[in-house]
Amino acid sequence: MFPRFTFNITHITGALTPWCRFTVFAVFFPSDLNTMNKEARLKATINQKLTETGERERLKELLRAKLTECGWKDQMKAQCKEVIKEKGLEHVTVEDLVVEITPKGRALVPDSVKKELLQRIRAFLTQHAS
Amino acid sequence: MKMEEMPLSSPDNTKLEALMHDIYSELVEDACLGLCFEVHRAVKQGYFFLGEPDQESMKEFEIVDQPGVDIFGQVFNQWKNKECECPNCNRLIAASRFAPHLEKCLGMGRNSSRIASRRLARNNMSKSESDQEDNDDLNDNDWSYGAEKKAKKRRSDKNQNSPRRSKSLKPKNGEIGSSINSESHKYNHNTGISYESLGPEEVRSLLTMRCGVISEHTKKMCTRSQRCPQHTDEQRRAVRVFLLGPSAPALHSAELESHSFDIPDGQMSRLQWVESPNVSPSDSASSKASTNHPDSRRPKKKKTLSLNSGGGSGGLTEGSGSSAQSSLSLSSRKKKPKLSAAFISSIYDDLN
Repeated sequence: MFPRFTFNITHITGALTPWCRFTVFAVFFPSDLNTMNKEARLKATINQKLTETGERERLKELLRAKLTECGWKDQMKAQCKEVIKEKGLEHVTVEDLVVEITPKGRALVPDSVKKELLQRIRAFLTQHAS
Repeated sequence: MKMEEMPLSSPDNTKLEALMHDIYSELVEDACLGLCFEVHRAVKQGYFFLGEPDQESMKEFEIVDQPGVDIFGQVFNQWKNKECECPNCNRLIAASRFAPHLEKCLGMGRNSSRIASRRLARNNMSKSESDQEDNDDLNDNDWSYGAEKKAKKRRSDKNQNSPRRSKSLKPKNGEIGSSINSESHKYNHNTGISYESLGPEEVRSLLTMRCGVISEHTKKMCTRSQRCPQHTDEQRRAVRVFLLGPSAPALHSAELESHSFDIPDGQMSRLQWVESPNVSPSDSASSKASTNHPDSRRPKKKKTLSLNSGGGSGGLTEGSGSSAQSSLSLSSRKKKPKLSAAFISSIYDDLN
């Protein structure tokens, strides 16, 4: 997690989905930039660029496709079945699933997929980093 | 996991790498969350477990392994002996015959329209011709010009144009097809046509395509192909000469000899036949025996050779010269006509 800053958010761009409570994409006013250090600034710029060029969406789709292809999705679904059986079909909630599934999901991503994705991100960074 | 080294200064490098990993983690978490939402919705909507087979249907669709029954449990020819009621005529028809019956019953399909049009033609013709004949003549099959036949004959007419009929009739379309149809139209769909009622052009066209041999019993011409096994080439040749005159064109069947032979032989035939134009060509092969030219009793198909066999009576050197060559070429023929040279000589006996 990057360090939290308080800044005035007047425009929010990018897809704001319920689970994006960890990251907020925003357009920053010049007055706010002084309070941030270079690192954060760089990060913000990169994120902005990712969204603007549509690269983030492309990367998302690529990751999803690769994970389905390699069977990760079916594995995770089996895990979900376990959770459902544990918690009961009627009473399972999103939180239950998220809490159980996310750490396992992160761990089960195959190395090849991880490598490819990191490569693509790096390529983007070298292209757009100042 | 070892990563590639980037051509950057190390502090920037590490920063960039950290950034990279951050972005990567974000993406992976996004994917996980997406999956969770998908699963949760499927559970709540009730379709999460639909993809898996349940016990009940597993039992229902199990493979059957009993004798006399296929893997679905169905008996093989269960419907073989069943009868169905036709919705049109309300008759009980056997299952295997149901489709053709329905075709005819409803009047759809190729055959039924053909049969219907033929029946119409027959009815029209019989109506027009029934005035011409006496009642006596109706019983006399030989002399009727094509009026209503007895049921036995009608049966052979029924399948005249059906697809099951011999294929030799089919390729002959165009002039002959139409002429045959027109003739049949006039004279009922018998297996033969009465030559007396045809014009010269019709006779000519008929003879170029069909066998044309006139039957002894019914005085009708055979409408089968030129290679019909019931009649020999000799009979065909005789019929052509009889109907078209002495300068009859040569038979087209099995024409392997060069045409140079035809011209002198045509002239020869005119000389020989001029005396008696009324020779009956319908005599059977075994009717008359003759001792002329035993050495020429080889399978002969061409009229050229047959004329040459009578060279003894005609006495033309031209013909006999060509006879040697033509007999050599013809002896290698595969087909053996039923007539012997005796019949050929018998015709010449009539002249002499």
